[in-house]
Amino acid sequence: MKVKILRQTHPGAEPYWEEFIYDGPAESSIASVIDEINFRDDIVTADGKKTTRIGWECACLQGMCGACAMVINGVPALACETFVKDLKGDVITIRPLTKFPVIHDLLTDRSSIQENLKKTNIYIEKYDPDLAEDHEHQYLAAKCLKCGLCLEVCPNYTTGKTFFGAEFANDCYLVSVRNKGKEAQILKEYRDHFGNACSKSLSCMDVCPMNIPTLASIGKLYKKKFK
Amino acid sequence: MKNVLVIGSGISGMSCAIHCAQKGMHVTLVSPFPSERSQSVMAAGGINAVLSENQEDDSIEIHIEDTLKGGAYIAGKKAVEGLCTDAGPIVKYLEGIGTVFSIDADGKPKYRAFGGQSRKRTYYCGASTGKQIVTALNMEVRRLEAAGQVERQLGTCFHSALIKDGVCYGALLFRETTGNLDAVYADAVVMATGGQNTIFGKTTGSTQCDGYAAGRLFEQGVVLKNLEFIQYHPTTLETSQKRMLISEAVRGEGGRLFYEENGKRVYFMEDKYGPGGNLQTRDVVSREIYATHKDVYLDISFLDAAVINERLPEVRDLCRKYRGIDITREPIPVAPSVHFFMGGIAVHNDHSTSVSNLYAVGECASIYHGANRLGGNSLLAAVHGGRVAAQAIDKLEAGGAHPSFDEFITKQQEKLAAVKEAQSTFAYANILNMLAHTMQEDLGIVRDEASLRNGLQQIDYYLSVADRIRYDSSVLAYFNYSLPGILTLARGVLTCALNREESRGAHYRSDCPDTDESFAHATLISYDGGRYRTWLDTEGEYES
Repeated sequence: MKVKILRQTHPGAEPYWEEFIYDGPAESSIASVIDEINFRDDIVTADGKKTTRIGWECACLQGMCGACAMVINGVPALACETFVKDLKGDVITIRPLTKFPVIHDLLTDRSSIQENLKKTNIYIEKYDPDLAEDHEHQYLAAKCLKCGLCLEVCPNYTTGKTFFGAEFANDCYLVSVRNKGKEAQILKEYRDHFGNACSKSLSCMDVCPMNIPTLASIGKLYKKKFK
Repeated sequence: MKNVLVIGSGISGMSCAIHCAQKGMHVTLVSPFPSERSQSVMAAGGINAVLSENQEDDSIEIHIEDTLKGGAYIAGKKAVEGLCTDAGPIVKYLEGIGTVFSIDADGKPKYRAFGGQSRKRTYYCGASTGKQIVTALNMEVRRLEAAGQVERQLGTCFHSALIKDGVCYGALLFRETTGNLDAVYADAVVMATGGQNTIFGKTTGSTQCDGYAAGRLFEQGVVLKNLEFIQYHPTTLETSQKRMLISEAVRGEGGRLFYEENGKRVYFMEDKYGPGGNLQTRDVVSREIYATHKDVYLDISFLDAAVINERLPEVRDLCRKYRGIDITREPIPVAPSVHFFMGGIAVHNDHSTSVSNLYAVGECASIYHGANRLGGNSLLAAVHGGRVAAQAIDKLEAGGAHPSFDEFITKQQEKLAAVKEAQSTFAYANILNMLAHTMQEDLGIVRDEASLRNGLQQIDYYLSVADRIRYDSSVLAYFNYSLPGILTLARGVLTCALNREESRGAHYRSDCPDTDESFAHATLISYDGGRYRTWLDTEGEYES
C-alpha cells in the first residue's frame, strides 16, 4: 500500500509530497503507520530515496487529547482513531490541517483556538449555574479536545480572524449555562463570532472525535437569545 | 511582585499557577503543548474525598488510614493528613469553578467505590473526570490570563534549572519555534512535568511524560525518592503503540480472569483467593498474571449484552475500536502494564525540594502515595499539591538579583549545538527502544538482584553512547537533548530497586519476598558526577 504524505520542512517553506510503502497490518491506525515509517532503520521513500523522519504530534494515542489531528484521505480526523482497514483504495493520503499554519510536516500551530477564546473572555467568572439546563449536554460540551477538526471541515471557517467555529460555540454554551450572570456578554460574543456566520452545514458534527452535538448548543443558545 | 515559573500545564501545574496568581503573584506557565494534550485528560476514574454531609459512614481519618495502608505505611502521615483533609474543600472548589461532575437528582456530585478503599468516596465526572477538571481549570487560567496574572507560553520545553549554591533562580527553556535556549528567572520554579512513561516504552499513559525533567534535575543535584515503586495496572490491552487500560469496572461487574490449559479455562485468581479473587488489589493481580507465564484473558461475555452496553460502554468501544474484539461475545486478552509512578522528585510536606525555591507537584513529585497509590488519589494529589506549593511560595521572600549564569548558559548552548552536529549510528529513538526493553525485562513486576544488575550494565552502555548520538533534525530538538537525562533517571530507578532488599507495595523482589521492617522508610537517591548514592529517610527528612 502507498502512503502519500504532504511534507514541509519549516514554517513558510514550500510543501512537497513524498510516497512511502506500508506493508503492515490493515488493523493499524494511521498513527501506527506513521510510527512504523519513522522507526525504520533507513527511512526511504517508495522510489528508494533516503529521507527524514515525519514530524507529527501525539500524546494519548487513544482519542482523548486531539494532538494527532490531520487530514486523511481528504477527511479531517485523529490519526490514532483512523484505521487502514476502514480507508478505501490502495493509496492513503495524509496532509496537515489546512486551516492552521504548518510548523513542520503534519505539525500545525493551533494556538489561534486558545487565543480566540482568550480575547473574547470565554471563561466562567462566577459559578452560578442554570440548574434547569441539560446536565448531560454540558458534560459533552466540556469534553471538547480543541483539536481543530471542526474548524478544518467547516465551510465558514477560514482564518479564524472573525468566525471562530464550532468549538467556540460549544464553549459559549458551557459558560453561559454555568455562569448565568455572564449570559448577555457571552451571547454577544457568540453572535459576533459564530451565530451570524454559521451556515449550518453541521459538518463539524460529522468529524468531532467526542461526538459533541454542536447543533444542540446552537439551538440552546438560539433559545436564550429570544427568551 | 513575586514571579513564579510553572513548568507543565496539566492539572497540578494549572492548580499551582491559579493559586499563585490568586495570591497576587505573576505566573509564567510553560509547556510544549496546550493543557488539553496533558496526561491529566486521560485520568478517567475520579477523585477521592470525604464530604461529611454526604458520606455518613466515612471519615477523613478512614481515608487517611486507607491511603497510608495502600502505601504500605511509608508515606508521611502529616502529609497524608493534609491531603485527605483538603479533599472535601477541593471537590467543592472544583465544583465552584464549573467542573461538570456527575450529579444525583438533587444536583449533588455523585461518588462511587474504587479499588483498595474501605468506603465509597470517589467523586467522578462520567468516564472523563480528568478531562472535565482540565476544562474547568483551563477556564480559570484563561480568566487569570485576561487579568494579566498568568502568562502562558506554549511550544516551550524544560532544559535545565538555573541552580547555584543550593538555590534555584529560574530555568533554561528551549523554544522549538526559534531553536533558542532562553533563561527565565523567577522567585520560585515549580516542576509539574508528570511521570516517567518513556523509560518503559509502552505504558497506559501519555507519550509526553518522559521523566526527562526529573532526570535532568537529578543530574543537577536534586534529590529523588522512591523510584522503585512503580504501579502496574493488571488489565491492559496490547496495541501496536501503547497499552490501553481496561478499567477495573470490568472486574467490578463480575469479570473473570483465566488462562487456557489443555483446552480448559483455569480461573487462577478464584482458585487461589476464592470467589472475590478477581478483585484483589492491582499489585497482587499483576503479580499473579505474571506468574502464570501464559496468555491471560478477562471474560465478561457471560453478562447480558444490554448490561455491558449500559455499564461498560467505554471498554466495549475501546476493545472494538483498537482490536476488533466484541466483549459481549469474546474474552479480552490482558496483561499488566506500567501505569503510575509513586517515585519522583523528593519533596517536603510543603512541596519544596532539596534545592531552595524549587518545588515539584503532581506525578513528578514523590509524596502521599508511599509504596503504592490508591485509585482516585492521583487527581486529588495533583490539585492539592498545587495549592500547597502556592501557599509555601507565598511565604517566600521575594528574591533580589540573581547570580550570573552566563558561563552555564553558554556551556549548555554549546552542548546543544554539539548534539546537533554529532555523528553516530545511533538514533535517539533506537536507544529509547532499547532502554524500554531493558526496563521491562529487568525491572518488571518481579525483580531480583541479577536482573537489576544486568539492567544497570545495559544502561551504563546506553549512557556511554548517549552524548555521541546522531542528531535527528527531523524530530523536535528536545528529543535529542533529553536522552541523557532520561537514561540517568532510569539508572536511578534500577539503583533504588537494587537497594531495597525487601518486598513492599508495588516493589516485589523474588530474592527478598518478605517485607522487612528495617526498610519501612522512603528511599532517597542523589547523583553526583556519575555517583549514585541511596539512603533511607529514617528521620523524615522530606515527607513526614
